[in-house]
Amino acid sequence: MTASMRIASVRLLSKTRHYFSSEVAVQPGARTVHHQPASTRFVFTSVRCNVCLIPVAFLHKGRAYGTQSSSVTVTEEPDLLFQKLSVLVKSHDKAVLDSYEFFATLAAKELGLTLAKVFEPPKNIERLTLLKSVHIFKKHRVQYEMRTHYRCIEISRITGSTSRVYLEYIQRNLPEGVAMEVTKTAIEKVPDHIQMPLWSVQSQEKQGSQ
Amino acid sequence: HSVCYNRNSIYHFIDRAEKPHTVCRQLNSTLWLNVGGRSIHSSAVCCKNRAARIRVGKGDRPVTYEQALHPHQIAHRKGWLSQHTSNLQGEDGAADRTVEDLFIRRLIYGTFHGCLADELVIKRRGNLLVICALMLQKLPPHKYYFLVGYTEELLSHFYKCPVKMEIQMLEEKSVYKYL
Repeated sequence: MTASMRIASVRLLSKTRHYFSSEVAVQPGARTVHHQPASTRFVFTSVRCNVCLIPVAFLHKGRAYGTQSSSVTVTEEPDLLFQKLSVLVKSHDKAVLDSYEFFATLAAKELGLTLAKVFEPPKNIERLTLLKSVHIFKKHRVQYEMRTHYRCIEISRITGSTSRVYLEYIQRNLPEGVAMEVTKTAIEKVPDHIQMPLWSVQSQEKQGSQ
Repeated sequence: HSVCYNRNSIYHFIDRAEKPHTVCRQLNSTLWLNVGGRSIHSSAVCCKNRAARIRVGKGDRPVTYEQALHPHQIAHRKGWLSQHTSNLQGEDGAADRTVEDLFIRRLIYGTFHGCLADELVIKRRGNLLVICALMLQKLPPHKYYFLVGYTEELLSHFYKCPVKMEIQMLEEKSVYKYL
């Protein structure tokens, strides 16, 4: 009887822990995208490695399965090229940003990316002056402030697939209370109809007619 | 109430029915007189801040680090209890997150009544809600397991996001100082 009770309690635990499946919600690269992925859209796995001695039939169907980014896809279309990838992180805590900058720059170096600039834009302080009391006492106020510290990491000359990998890695390890804004500047081939300036084409035609 | 004044001081006879903080405010808001060259400035007692502070007492009341430090020490000697991005410049949803936090704190205070050693720390990573709690060893372990699973399941159904609880057990409340 004790064995069956133990199984029942472990089953409850495994049900709660494997309930939510994860999906990688990475936005594919587009022309000069400005999006805020990290703070709002990611779903993380709540996977914990429990050794469960229960037959598979008892487990809840919505188990966490592996991410799809592990499979390599080969396509014939040419990869996007980005002139600049700018990652701006914001937080209330400067120490957290320092450590995140170290992590992101280390990751970029390991992947062989060129770090153009790593700098700290000036902080922004939003101040509020409110009345201290619920009713009257206009002379007695209370002041609050909210400080936002920034850090910007710029990477130059990167391909679409590399940027996707790098951003996914960076965003999966984003600490709590840190928001990220990513700006990408893409490079495109100059369209054919504006390869040659119009005045040179017209002068050639005039010479030809003459 | 009647007011009579001496050369050196002002006496106020104030109605007994009034509450102490209004008494202070009345004292503060009176005029100060320049009688015989001496000026009296009423006290700044009621201008003091009282938010999230435990006042110094006899020295027999144990107080944790979180309670002992005042709110102006946040980001200096204290950390944040609730970590999310909605209070940053250019981000929204602050009110919703605050209401959620309050609800979670009350729910867990009631579910683990008498077992919490300190305030909860609530973290949001993407969609995931992580609740970190310090617990005292008041209940047998299987009850803790059940209550943790129950709160995770309930909150995840309520907020439609994955919820994880990370608890750490302590034998007794960690005292920082006695006030």
